[in-house]
Amino acid sequence: METCFDVKNIDLFYGEKQALKNVNMEIYKNCVTAFIGPSGCGKSTFIRCLNRMNDLIEGCKVEGEIIKDGLDIYSPKQDIVDLRTRVGMVFQKPNPFPMSIYDNIAYGPRCQGLKDKKKLDEIVMTSLKQVALYDEVHDRLGESAIGLSGGQQQRLCIARCIAMSPEVILMDEPTSALDPISTSKIEDLCLELKKDYTIVIVTHNMQQAARISDYTAFFLMGEVVEMDKTDTIFSHPSDKRTENYITGRFG
Amino acid sequence: MNRLVKDNILKGITYVASALSVIVLAAILWYLVSNGLSLISGDLITGDYYATTENAAISPDYSYTEMETQEYSGKGYYSKKWGIALEDITTAHNDEEISVVYVDPNSPFTHMNSLVAGEDGMELSLSSGSAVQNIYYEDQNGETVFLSRVQMKDAENTIKTLEEAEGIVSINYESIGGGIRGSIFATLYLILISLLISLPIGIASAIYLHEYATKNKINSLIRQGIDTLTGVPSIVYGLMGVTVLFPVTQLVGATSTSILLGGLTLAIMLLPTIIRSTEEALIVVPKSLRDGSLSLGATKSQTIFKVVLPCAVNGILTGVLLGIGRVIGESAALVYTTSTVISDNPSILSQGTSLSLMIWSIMSGEQPNYELASAISLIILVIVFAINIIVKIIGKRLAKSFV
Repeated sequence: METCFDVKNIDLFYGEKQALKNVNMEIYKNCVTAFIGPSGCGKSTFIRCLNRMNDLIEGCKVEGEIIKDGLDIYSPKQDIVDLRTRVGMVFQKPNPFPMSIYDNIAYGPRCQGLKDKKKLDEIVMTSLKQVALYDEVHDRLGESAIGLSGGQQQRLCIARCIAMSPEVILMDEPTSALDPISTSKIEDLCLELKKDYTIVIVTHNMQQAARISDYTAFFLMGEVVEMDKTDTIFSHPSDKRTENYITGRFG
Repeated sequence: MNRLVKDNILKGITYVASALSVIVLAAILWYLVSNGLSLISGDLITGDYYATTENAAISPDYSYTEMETQEYSGKGYYSKKWGIALEDITTAHNDEEISVVYVDPNSPFTHMNSLVAGEDGMELSLSSGSAVQNIYYEDQNGETVFLSRVQMKDAENTIKTLEEAEGIVSINYESIGGGIRGSIFATLYLILISLLISLPIGIASAIYLHEYATKNKINSLIRQGIDTLTGVPSIVYGLMGVTVLFPVTQLVGATSTSILLGGLTLAIMLLPTIIRSTEEALIVVPKSLRDGSLSLGATKSQTIFKVVLPCAVNGILTGVLLGIGRVIGESAALVYTTSTVISDNPSILSQGTSLSLMIWSIMSGEQPNYELASAISLIILVIVFAINIIVKIIGKRLAKSFV
């Protein structure tokens, strides 16, 4: 299996406080990798390292290497804007722009300088179809995205991400603000999307991790306690703390 | 029980306070309306401030026998013989005048030649709205008699005298001044110039301060400075304008203080307001939208111009509105920079007064003209109200086109 991210000795500091301690892992292509762990364990912080969204936080310092395609994404040679076009992100709360549905999806390609109306139309259509939103909204592409339901908004955000045809989609608790039906739609979507994309997902919901992921990493206090195939983690965890967490003794 | 009484007293105080403020505002408005409303007319808004005098003789080609004047039944006193109707009015300058209300097309007063030196007998026609100053006429003995303004007394007496005359020789009349067209234009120029300069600079500064600037001593000093500038009295800006900015206007050809200088000064005065309100608007834009845009591979400037600014447009417009309000209301900063000389045809490089400065000019003369000042105040109120509504409509449109 091909490696997508090779994470080596990542330490992350918010000012004086260390939020990640010596994280090492490999994330494989065309797999769903889930990060689980209690609140404040650093899983969201870590996922934001993968497309350098932590750069936006003042006082945040990252040490170590994350190798992608032979280049450390934290090296000065890395073009951050280019990195983010290849590693897209979906956030915890749906954050559609206050524009029309069409403009939301066309936003990324337009920022890259694509102006061809036909190509944009095609990108918007295929992206919406991939997230199974096309049938629901095809007759109101010009209307504001704010008018969609929460679940639709989140799928729109995924479509917006797909429109950039990235290699990786990072999802930071994408279903935590959604109802069960919308959640199951997004889970199905993840399984569908992993054929074409590498997916990294942070989740609070262990059943969700078990249902959709191929690999699972358990975070605790800024450290990766254990990372393995999802089946192994949930059936024979090698660490006592992992077992305690997934059996619900704490967290 | 005791608590209830306390509660009611506090409630009562708020009632009284709000009633008081409403009463005061209503009283001011009532004063302005009762003093100024009668003056407000199309002539006031479109007319010249300065009266122009004409002196004209009846054209030698005019034949009294061939021309027949018509009956007239409008207001004023009418002389069918001469085809002219007069009435008594009080002008915006507070003068009692005898004003022309109607001139028959066949009247001798429509066939006149100028007597003013240098105009070479230019053809003139008396028009309604002019104020009659004096008339030379021929009496029964064929002698030319001078009818002065004092002898005329009022419109009724003038018409009676003219009816007895055998012919008209010449007439001296002036247009009624007191119009505010020039000052309206000057005010609009000031708004345009100051906003054209302060908006882009102010918005760009706000973007820098909120989106790019990191927290360090220099930036907090800049912020402090901007906050301080908001409280600087406008007369200080005026002084700065005339000393520092005057050479700048000289570069584009200004030879004296000018509306351009006033506009530049106001632009600087507006900067803190625009920066502050834009920054407030930027703060409200959720961080999640910025994150969303950046995570899609948009650059920082794309994020700002395509997502953040459109979301902040209403807040920015509030700043524009405050700015316009300040320009219209400003007088102290303009005393030195645009001058207090009322101009009927202001240009950007000439002197002129804004409407509020015009009030100052009118009221600081030997005879303060409360009526005209009140009328101008009312017009200022209407303009502010109209701009308020227009900006709100634009804001809604922009928000709609964005959504």
